[in-house]
Amino acid sequence: MNVPIRMIGLATTFFWIFLIAFTATVAYSAKDLQFSFGELQVGGDSHNNLVLSLPIGVVNQGYYDIDAFNISTYITDLDGFRITRGSTFTPVIAKGGNITIYHNVTLSIDRLLRHGRNYLLNDTTMNVNESVSMRLANFIPVQASANFSIPWGAPLYNFELGDPTYSPYNLTHFSVVVPISFENHASFDVVGNVQASMYNDADMQTGTGQTTINAAQHSSFNGLLEFYVQMSNVTPTGRFEVNFQTSLFDYGPLVIPYG
Amino acid sequence: MANKNYLQRNLRSIVLKAAKATLKGVLFYMIYFLVWTIVLAPFASMLPWLQLSVETFMAIYITLMVIGELTSGTIYQYFFGVARSLFVIGYLLLTLQGGLIGMTFENVNLLVDLRLFLMMAMLFSLLGLAKSVLQAINYMSEKSEPPLILTPRDARN
Repeated sequence: MNVPIRMIGLATTFFWIFLIAFTATVAYSAKDLQFSFGELQVGGDSHNNLVLSLPIGVVNQGYYDIDAFNISTYITDLDGFRITRGSTFTPVIAKGGNITIYHNVTLSIDRLLRHGRNYLLNDTTMNVNESVSMRLANFIPVQASANFSIPWGAPLYNFELGDPTYSPYNLTHFSVVVPISFENHASFDVVGNVQASMYNDADMQTGTGQTTINAAQHSSFNGLLEFYVQMSNVTPTGRFEVNFQTSLFDYGPLVIPYG
Repeated sequence: MANKNYLQRNLRSIVLKAAKATLKGVLFYMIYFLVWTIVLAPFASMLPWLQLSVETFMAIYITLMVIGELTSGTIYQYFFGVARSLFVIGYLLLTLQGGLIGMTFENVNLLVDLRLFLMMAMLFSLLGLAKSVLQAINYMSEKSEPPLILTPRDARN
């Protein structure tokens, strides 16, 4: 019986040494793992969605490969409404490897505006849940997650139509000029058309005008909307119904009273 | 004269056991010290409880090992062997929180899944436990049964 017992003892010692050495080197390798985050890039896709792309550099100078590297982003508004989610999966980051992963999150502004026009006209904040998971040496799964807030800049912040100015065009029509102004607080450019329809106090459409808008990110826009109305239909009060068609979103009508 | 020889033999045996126990204890502490300095020390700043936890484990483990060594040649050696294996199982289960360790650094939650490591450590500890039990059984059977093969000395007597 002595020989089998001795063999069990030897096997146990060997396994323990192997397990401790392996775990220690895995832990040591984790120390040599470096992450770097590049600048957030904002672009669009073919479906008129906003694509946020974050380049993440991973340098694995450890002794083992990293498997199942996954980054997930979950963005909600302050009420918990899911705005978007995205995940990027990299099967293997080889030892000694130095790679850059582009973590893309697609944001549909149209879908966002269907939830509420607040995002179009007012700045707000969004909650972000960021989660990174990986498996070290195909043995130890590790997950890190963080919650934080990011500001949301409204693309049409403080959108205003000024008082319409009437000047006679001919005997029957006025030429109407309406000043438009807004501030683009978003991190993308607003390029498109604004169409405004004028209604008098009898709910009758008196005229329609259209103009192009081109506001770079974090800039102000001032423009003029010109159209013609029949003199007899003009009333001192009424409303404008404004529609927006841009490369990233279509929205309307936004009702703004005048007079 | 015979009594004096018996005492001398006993004393030599105790001194040898003590020396062996001391050597083993020092060797284990050196291994721990090396592993701590090279591998675990960088994590100590992130995990303040780690050093105390590992030191407590090493202190109890080395104590059990030294006592086991001092009681070698008796049945108590195997009792301490069993105690050591059970201690490893219990301590790992408690300190590793069932294998899922959660930590929070400022706003970041870190979750390390050590269940596979824990399972393997449990398995090896159970192997050690089985070894100690088998050794105890073997010891008792050797004590109670006369040797089956007679040595020339047995034959002369």
